[in-house]
Amino acid sequence: MPPLQREDLVTLTHLSRIQCQEEEIPPLLQDLQSILQYVDLLQEVDTSHVEPCNHVLANVFNAQREDTVGPCLARESLLSNAPDHTEGMIKVPPILKSTP
Amino acid sequence: MHTLSASELSHKFKTGHYTAQEIVQHFLSRIEKLDPHIGAFLEVYHSRVLQQAQALDEKKKRGEPLGKLAAIPIALKDNIHVKGERTTCASTFLRDYTAPFSATVTDLLEKEDALILGKTNLDEFAMGSSVEHSAFQQTFNPWNPQCTPGGSSGGSAAAVAARLCPIALGSDTGGSIRQPASFCGTLGFKPTYGRVSRFGLVAFASSLDQIGPFTNYPEDLSLCMEVLSQYCEKDSTSVKAEHNDFSSTHANSIKGKTLGVPYHLLKELPVELQENFKASLQKFEEIGVSIQEIQCPTLRYAVAIYYILATAEASTNLARFDGIRYGTRSEKAHTLEQVYDYSKEEGFGKEVKRRILLGTYVLSSGYQEAYYKKAQKVRALMIEEFRTQFQHCDAIAMPVTPSTAFELGSVKDGLEMYLADTYTIPANLAGLPAISLPSGFDKEGKPLAIQLLGPQMHDQEVCQFAYHFCKKTNEPQILPQLCT
Repeated sequence: MPPLQREDLVTLTHLSRIQCQEEEIPPLLQDLQSILQYVDLLQEVDTSHVEPCNHVLANVFNAQREDTVGPCLARESLLSNAPDHTEGMIKVPPILKSTP
Repeated sequence: MHTLSASELSHKFKTGHYTAQEIVQHFLSRIEKLDPHIGAFLEVYHSRVLQQAQALDEKKKRGEPLGKLAAIPIALKDNIHVKGERTTCASTFLRDYTAPFSATVTDLLEKEDALILGKTNLDEFAMGSSVEHSAFQQTFNPWNPQCTPGGSSGGSAAAVAARLCPIALGSDTGGSIRQPASFCGTLGFKPTYGRVSRFGLVAFASSLDQIGPFTNYPEDLSLCMEVLSQYCEKDSTSVKAEHNDFSSTHANSIKGKTLGVPYHLLKELPVELQENFKASLQKFEEIGVSIQEIQCPTLRYAVAIYYILATAEASTNLARFDGIRYGTRSEKAHTLEQVYDYSKEEGFGKEVKRRILLGTYVLSSGYQEAYYKKAQKVRALMIEEFRTQFQHCDAIAMPVTPSTAFELGSVKDGLEMYLADTYTIPANLAGLPAISLPSGFDKEGKPLAIQLLGPQMHDQEVCQFAYHFCKKTNEPQILPQLCT
């Protein structure tokens, strides 16, 4: 695989919504490059006739319970962990500009 | 009191030798005296656990039936929920997060009258092998405070090794129970994938994570597994086991069983560790277990598969920490985008960011086939290889780690740290039960260990191997000098 470039890393920070300081970029790039170079080891394995593993246990399928009403958590206890909330709702910064 | 096994301690409570409050007071005073030097606990539930103990003493006085874990103080890794208490995952992001519900394992322990002592330290979000990535404090190895206790469940391992509690729970995604158990000289068990409910465990890599116990005695491990190994409808990966009789079967004879050994994996091990490993095999032979060489060629790909899949799953799981519904929201954020960007930047440590970025990369358009799908295919080959090998042997013996506990700060390179997980990762990739068993000490007095892996759902058999090995080695219970 082609080595990870600086601009790829900048795109990744945007995709994963993780801000990185300018000085964090070079060591991070070097780290990721060496890990990616290492995992290229897998390319030597012939997997042309192998189905990917989707569940580690054989004979385990989607677990679905009966659609019945059960107890659920109190709204207050969930809201108490929200950084900001008002009138029973989680509050976030405005996402639409207000019209003048 | 702290040198007794959990089983003996509970028995002494039930027969009136100790009250639950005396037991708790004893361990609380040990924590107060010793934990400043070890740093195992992030939080100690002083008043909560004393109330629990008082209630248990009253329950006993009333003559009500007592649970299997009655009066046993147990510590939980701080990524497991206890309702109304903080779950920080050793991350700045969750420093003020209060769990609105208890994990299934917490409920199961409390239902059997265990006493929850508090929460132990870990690498942030369980990502690391040394607890050097905890946002709050360093945990030191009770056998040598210059060294790491291992990670990520290093706090739980150190707490049990220092006899600050007889049992602690950890979680194991790529060795996070077994590696610290080996570094601290305790038993550490990762059950079969799905055997113990993960409801209420903060997810790291969902196809790999398992909760399991640390103990000093094999019978305590069986006792704890008997309680924890229950089907849970709140965890869609929970499996129904036909038998959960760990305690009544752990002493079953293992004479005539076969232990497979992939000798080719030992080549790069330091001589002292090789010799110890072979001496451990010798002990199994003396018990009547036959040793058979096996070949596991795909194991050389374990670390590469793991660091693709675990980071991919982590990047997905940790996307929920966006500063909206819980966790820390950056104060400098004025727009929604900034809430995400700055909250993650401020809340996550270096290792967590590195893994999220790597996971995002291997899942990104154009690379998913080459990395993620490829890793899932090689993983399928590894699972098949184990299946074939287990037709010839009942369990597989491997080292736990390529070294004993290393000095804090000595491993600077991320990849070097990852490569040290080479022996523990395969059990997670294949969903196998695996255990780390203490096997003596090196010349510097640091603990050594051997690892056993069993076929899926053969957790009881692994515990039988563990029981007989521990009885055979029969080492007097030596305590770390720091903790006598």
